[in-house]
This record gives sequence, C-alpha cells and structure tokens, in this order.
Amino acid sequence: MFNLTEEEIERYSRHIILPEVGGRGQQKLKEASVLVVGAGGLGSPALLYLTAAGVGRIGIIEDDVVDLTNLQRQVLHATADVGKPKAQSASETMKQINPLVEVDVYRERLNKDNILPLVEKYDVVVDGVDNFPTRYLINDACVMKKKALVEGGILRFMGLIMSIRGGETACYRCVYEEPPPPGTVPSCAEAGILGAVAGVVGTLQATEVLKILTGVGKPLFNRMLQFDAEELSFHEVQAKRNPKCPVCGENPTITELVEYDHTCEIQAPGS
Amino acid sequence: MLSLKNEAAAGEAPGLNLEVQGRKVYYQGPADVRSLLDSQGESVLYANVRINGSVLDRRDFENVLLKEGDSVEFLYFMGGGSCST
Ligand SMILES: [Zn+2]
Repeated sequence: MFNLTEEEIERYSRHIILPEVGGRGQQKLKEASVLVVGAGGLGSPALLYLTAAGVGRIGIIEDDVVDLTNLQRQVLHATADVGKPKAQSASETMKQINPLVEVDVYRERLNKDNILPLVEKYDVVVDGVDNFPTRYLINDACVMKKKALVEGGILRFMGLIMSIRGGETACYRCVYEEPPPPGTVPSCAEAGILGAVAGVVGTLQATEVLKILTGVGKPLFNRMLQFDAEELSFHEVQAKRNPKCPVCGENPTITELVEYDHTCEIQAPGS
Repeated sequence: MLSLKNEAAAGEAPGLNLEVQGRKVYYQGPADVRSLLDSQGESVLYANVRINGSVLDRRDFENVLLKEGDSVEFLYFMGGGSCST
C-alpha cells in the first residue's frame, strides 16, 4: 500500500497506529528532508527525535568540536566524543539510533554565501544556533526561499519556539525586528542554561517539524511560545505579519542577505 | 524581590490590576514599564515589551506609565549571545 518495508512498518508502528499519521504520514516523513543548523543544545534533542521518527534525509551543519562543557545538555554527544567534530559525533549517534535515515554532514559555518543553496535542498529548517547573527541570517534566507523554519532559543531557565512559513506567516523579524545591541544579551556560556530546558525546546522544535511534514494538527505559525521552567509555564504570544518587517513586509529593505558582525564591542580594538 | 501579587488584599496601598505574560496580577510597584520589567526577576535578560499588543519603543520604558487593565508582554531575546564567543 505504502512504500514502507516490513522493518519500517514495525519500527514506526507506534506512529502508524495514530490515525492522524498512519502509513501515509510515515511515508511523508520518509520522503522528507530536514536541515538542522547546530548540533548543540537544541540540535541534539531535535536530531534525536527526527532521526528516531524516520525523517528520510537529515542535514546537520555545525563547525564546532565537542567540549566537556557541552555534555550537560548536548545529549547527542558522549564523554568519549570530546574533541570530535560535533557534526561527526552527531551523525554517528544518529546512525546508531536509526540506520535507515540518510545523514548529510556539513562541517562548516553557515554564512550568506552558502545558506541559500543549502536551504533549498530541504523541506524544513530547524534553528538551533547559539548566536544572533546566524539566527537572523537563517530567518531571512527562509523568507527569501519561502521555506518552513522552526525557531528555537534558550537562556537560563527560559526558552522560545516559533514556527514560520517563510513569506506566508510572521517571521522572526516580525517579532524581533533587529538583533539586540552587542553586549545586551548574554550567551548560555555567560548566563547559564538548565540542561533540560534545551531538551524541552529542542523536542518541541522536533514536534513542530513532524507536524509540518505530516500535516497533523496546527503548527505554531503566527504564534510564539515562551517557556519559563521556573514557573513551569508557557506563554503564547500572538505574532502577526508586520507590514513594516524589513524582510517580509510590504516594502522590504533587506532584499539581499546581510550578515551581522560576529564580533563583540567588548573585544579589544584591533583584535 | 517580586512586587507582583496574585490578588489585591482589601485596604492595601493602591496598585494596578494588570495582565502580565497572560496572567492576572496585582502590581504595586512604580507604574513605569522599566520598573515592572525589572520586577520580573530576569534582569539579566533583554526584552522587547508589548503593551496591549503593540510594541513599545525602548526609549519609552521609563516614561510610559501603565494603566489599570493593561496587558503587558515581555518578549525576551534568547538564542545565544549578542556577541559570539
Ligand atoms: Zn517578517
């Protein structure tokens, strides 16, 4: 009936038994492709669940190396992986979980020159990056290529999730028009992150991807969810397409990709 | 630390009934937006503020006074440092 092997039908039986997913939905996952940017705190849980779920082809782009301080939350990587490229460590773990999934490994940093052709090769993009310049770059590229994007961010005990259909629903810039000024927003290295919060947000991102790919339910389009682990509460923010949005508004000022400076004001001059 | 209370007790100093992050609160601190933001206990975080659905200009955080019944949302920036390490 569907183009699934006996092994696949057994492996994914708990999906297939869901009437909303069924063999048809599982088939869609098998034919789908997802690009996950970053194999760190958010990318780890997202990649684990997308792999286990049987998404046919998964791309990972990550240029970092596993560090001991990553292991408190980046659950794709184990102690023995310290020093290994994260993209490689991630794909090894994914192959162990589900060898049926095809994994594309890109050991590079996303930039304005490589992002558009890369994004074009995938159905959905997952943002699991740890800096604002790349976050805005991904949003703008997904708007330009009209791609589905699942945004996620974490800090301390909080997280946010937002799904975007580029050019159709509110984008990240419709809510956060410009990056915060340098020095105003601490990184997880500076302000800390409760490891399990990364798990919550990354897993929600995977959930959104699976919903978008199978057409199940109502994705988090035109909505942004803020998660507060201290209160254990979620707050949903209504997001509308902003007609003045610099990238998806009526008169966009960003028509070519811009890359914000990755350096920081705190840096010594000339360094 | 937090000056937010769930409900007004009769006879207390006058405050404001607000909706903060979707929750009804009785707020007794100074009525400017900056003070409410600082009272949230996440002073390390940087946020955009929406009042009744409209984004408030950052330069007005100290000037704009909250009114009874206002709905206030803090859209925190999360997603890595604003400078990369
Ligand atoms: Zn937009």
